[in-house]
Amino acid sequence: MKAPAVAYVRPQSLDEAVAVLGQGAGEVQLLAGGQSLLALMNLRLAAPDLLIDISRLPELTAVGEEAEAVILGACVTHAMVEDGRIPDPSRGLLPRVAAGLAYRAVRTRGTLGGSLALADPAGEWPCVFAALAAEAILCGRAGRRSLPCAGFVTGIYETARAADEIIEAVRVPKLSAAARWGYVKLARKTGAFASALAVAVTDPGRGHCRLVLGAAGGPPLFLAQTAALIGADCRDLDAYRLAVAADLAAAADRHFEEFEMQLHTAAALRAIHQVLA
Amino acid sequence: MAHEPAVIGASLPRKEDARHLEGRGQFTADITVPGMLEVAFVRSPHAHARIRAIAVPPAAKGRVFTAADLPRIKPIRVATQTEGAKSPLWPPLAGERVRFVGEAIAACLAPTRAEAEDLAAAVSVDFEVLPPVVDAVRERHGGRALVHESWGDNLYLERVLEGGDIAAAARAAAITVTREFRMNRQSGLPLEGRAVIAWYDHRLDELVVHASTQTPHMMRVALAEFLEIEARRIRVVAPDVGGGFGPKARLYPEEIVLAALALACERPVRWVEDRGEHLLAAAHARDHHCRLTAYADRDGRILGLDAEITVDAGAYGMWPQGPYQEAAMAARNLPGPYAIPHYRARHYTVATNKAPLGPYRGVGRPGACFAIERIIDEVARAAGRDPVETRVLNMVPPEAMPFTTIAGLRLDGGDYRASVKLCAELLDLPAVRARQQRGESDGRLIGVGFASFAEQTAHGAAEFVARGAAIIPGYESCTARMLTDGSLVLMVGIQSHGQGLETTLSQIAAHELGIDPDRISVRHGDTESTAFGFGTFASRSMVMAGGAVARASRLLRDKLCRIGAHLLQCDPAAVRVADGAVLGPQGQVAFAEIARIAHLRMDGLPAGTDPLLEASATYEPAVGTGVFSYATHGAVVAVDPETGFVELVDYAVAEDCGTMVNPMIVEGQIRGGVVQGIGTALYEEIPYDEQGQPQAGTLADYLVPGAAELPAIRIGHLHTPATATEYGIKGMGEGGAVAPPAAIANAVRDALAALGAEINETPLTPRRVLTAIAKARAAAPGAGGHPRAERA
Amino acid sequence: MTRIRLTLNGATIEEEVPARLALADFLRERRHLTGTHLGCEHGVCGACTVLIDGEPARACLVLAVACDGCAVRTIEGFRDDAAMAALRASFHRRHALQCGFCTPGMLITAHDLIRRGKAGGEREIRDGLAGNLCRCTGYTNIVAAIAEAAAQLGASRHGA
Repeated sequence: MKAPAVAYVRPQSLDEAVAVLGQGAGEVQLLAGGQSLLALMNLRLAAPDLLIDISRLPELTAVGEEAEAVILGACVTHAMVEDGRIPDPSRGLLPRVAAGLAYRAVRTRGTLGGSLALADPAGEWPCVFAALAAEAILCGRAGRRSLPCAGFVTGIYETARAADEIIEAVRVPKLSAAARWGYVKLARKTGAFASALAVAVTDPGRGHCRLVLGAAGGPPLFLAQTAALIGADCRDLDAYRLAVAADLAAAADRHFEEFEMQLHTAAALRAIHQVLA
Repeated sequence: MAHEPAVIGASLPRKEDARHLEGRGQFTADITVPGMLEVAFVRSPHAHARIRAIAVPPAAKGRVFTAADLPRIKPIRVATQTEGAKSPLWPPLAGERVRFVGEAIAACLAPTRAEAEDLAAAVSVDFEVLPPVVDAVRERHGGRALVHESWGDNLYLERVLEGGDIAAAARAAAITVTREFRMNRQSGLPLEGRAVIAWYDHRLDELVVHASTQTPHMMRVALAEFLEIEARRIRVVAPDVGGGFGPKARLYPEEIVLAALALACERPVRWVEDRGEHLLAAAHARDHHCRLTAYADRDGRILGLDAEITVDAGAYGMWPQGPYQEAAMAARNLPGPYAIPHYRARHYTVATNKAPLGPYRGVGRPGACFAIERIIDEVARAAGRDPVETRVLNMVPPEAMPFTTIAGLRLDGGDYRASVKLCAELLDLPAVRARQQRGESDGRLIGVGFASFAEQTAHGAAEFVARGAAIIPGYESCTARMLTDGSLVLMVGIQSHGQGLETTLSQIAAHELGIDPDRISVRHGDTESTAFGFGTFASRSMVMAGGAVARASRLLRDKLCRIGAHLLQCDPAAVRVADGAVLGPQGQVAFAEIARIAHLRMDGLPAGTDPLLEASATYEPAVGTGVFSYATHGAVVAVDPETGFVELVDYAVAEDCGTMVNPMIVEGQIRGGVVQGIGTALYEEIPYDEQGQPQAGTLADYLVPGAAELPAIRIGHLHTPATATEYGIKGMGEGGAVAPPAAIANAVRDALAALGAEINETPLTPRRVLTAIAKARAAAPGAGGHPRAERA
Repeated sequence: MTRIRLTLNGATIEEEVPARLALADFLRERRHLTGTHLGCEHGVCGACTVLIDGEPARACLVLAVACDGCAVRTIEGFRDDAAMAALRASFHRRHALQCGFCTPGMLITAHDLIRRGKAGGEREIRDGLAGNLCRCTGYTNIVAAIAEAAAQLGASRHGA
């Protein structure tokens, strides 16, 4: 299938991109890596009038490091993370996630910001950034603001980003030396979309403990009761099993089939096992 | 006498590799013709509907063609000799009715494919939606709707195949096992989709069609018939074809439409299918349902099989053979390589509002193998015996060959029991069992499963006539032409699309003529330059085309020897060929010199010998009922009982295809077939919903095995040369795909034995595995215990 | 229409292209470089894999206009490459192709795996091939061919 007709512009700066985004008539889409958007356009499931190519904006490919966090430009590619070409605030979690995402030839183009903005329910980055308590830095006509990644995704393919905003960067706090993480992606094939996804991060130094599920039919799902057990360094597998079941049952807006419950449960417990091991 | 050292049996690297390694292959979509327009089709979004009106925007007039705009096209119809078989008309562009999602309604032309798709999106069709037929088992006699109104039911064909006395077997049985098996609908999915280019060559006054097809000569027959043009004014070329596997061995309506468009618009036209179209409208495959009862004695010896087989064949029959062979082949192959005395198989070929079903590697055999090989494991369990031993107990022994099975297949020769033993050795069965006992630290369950089969190949006229086939592909042809400098061209009617026939056919000619295979060109796939041949499918090319090459080469060799002996002034009986020359008692003369004489210096020819060095021959094996290669496959799996994920840990094939012309190529065919079979077993499915909407439209939904999911496939060989073919070759291209679903399902059954779970439906998705485990637990609480709660 | 200027297989070219034109179609239809194949147009099958600025990419999921100023290399651009020559030779020896449709994409992916030192063993190679589908070979020979070429190239290279 061939994409429908579209106009294309490549602004030279983030400010210019924001300006074009604001003034565009018709449907405007930001083009970063294009690995999701162009697939949708080829299938004629997306038909924007204008593409604004932001993939090469220096502001979006920049990477900065502060004492407490690393700021990753939104157009940092998955391959850059996989290869360790960025400072890693996550003690190995980010490169591990990147390496399992799609295929290398997709990772060289696809971006962190693109994935976060797309908010595919099976996407890895929304869950991982939520688990790491990262922030999305947005740039719009009214200026900059930052939003916690937890809660940034509001629905299936829906985020808190306003139509005139561009995700500029993701600010990821550095995990302390005592932090531990677990990451489980269950997929039927290497590189396929996740059937179940679980990210567990516990950082006693910051009093932070999260267990987040993806591929769960909506925004990243926080398993709060279960996370509390991790934070308390619980070692009772049955208690974890019960907590996961309770957390899943409490997710009233989700309708899981029996086998999906089993997959999410297995993913969650295995991520916990990695943290505790 | 032949050339030394042996070239038959040599794993020569392939001649066809060079162009592909450089990206210089020429697939249909790589070909452009000046003035060419691209085609996109308007396709039905409904499974079953009446077309009330088609509205074409005025600006698009002359660029959009409906059935009414191409009146010269006759509807496709399969001619069948089989009594009681129904054969619907299939208009290449839908007339007043559409019968499956994806059926072509109109063709749109534009300078680029993108613009042609824009045009297609602007065409609007007014439909009256009708209820669709989607359940082949329940709706075969009608019900909520009929796919073809005039039929009165939804049956292309129903038949019974029986032998012996199944009621007697039922009475005598100490063990009765009944199961329902389902092999779900899928796609053959060659990596290159379908493509057609058509234009009119005014110099030669002929229609020229390039198409990604396995059967170019047959496509010419079809175009002649459905466009009413003489065959002499049609040329069909299959250039490089990126995989066929069966789906490209049938005629497609798009092929007829493109040819008609080229004639109507007087412009070259090209259609290159995209993946979405392929999943929608290229031939679907498998879609078997089998309810099977096995009757056995208490040792596990099978006394009889009683089967009800339903094939969901979709909305239309594909030309030339129609849909009938799928269920019929399943019925004939269900007894497998076993000596079973009593049999009954009722089979139903059902029409539904889904894409038409076509042949795909193995055709009816994977479905049959799945059923018999699964049930033989269940019989073994019921008898308290080992499944491997139970197979061996039931197999036809070599000393009983040739053996005609209760379903009428004449097994020619081979040691099936030895294949079971060899397969177990390749897997190191004792080590697998030991590992299984030890348990896995991650809580997964190891299982091992086997499946055996015999594959009928290179069957000739007798077999096809017995099947009531519309055409009888019982032979192949070859013209061997030596040129003025002694170089050789072989022109064959088959069409190599990955099987390496440019190399292996050269090996045969090299063997007969004593020439270097690199000095031989093989021309295939072009109706212009090759005598009629049916094409490449049904595991027939090496035997049939190879046999024709052998015959034509020998005729040529005899003439070379006659002329050579004359030039050497010796007795023709005293010469032989070797190293590209005719060798006599004193001296030799090169083929190049003989060729020069035969073409340019006819004054040097012996009296009574005509110029030129060209010979044509056809070939059919001595036995029309086929030569049977056979194999046992073994799979080792690790099943995660918490997620239902199945990992393939090891896979082995112990096979026998008689003499192998090129063992490297044979093993490549086996491995390729096995991985497609693994796809059927674990990944590939096109589900349809209640409205007849297909649910797998992209490769994100339709999963195909990748390298990361697979172990290396081990292969061991047995050698029982055929007695009815040249060199003892048997066909073998499809076999790899026949057994994996059964072997893997048996392995999963073995892994989950303690839980008592079995999955009798492909693909064995995590959902199906978890559902089976849950069902087994509910039926027998406490059985098998909790899966390991702790991880080490 | 947008004017683009890029390096293609080492040569600088300039053309006017519609914005919606995928790089794959640009290469195949405009530049007649048909070695890059289309198998799905949604980024899964890998038949369209090319190099953009030295890294593998899906030509079906990149717009030609987005390649302005980039260096694109297709299978046709590897004729004088020693690593690719080693791969071609081992693919040929090991019967790592049948119909040939996946082969250009497979070779470019393999070339990249070797360059990045990710062709060390069977598991690593298999994972690296996850994005390249083949329907003909069953992959066994492809994996063996890549391992063989990597070993050869590693042996003749001094340092990584």
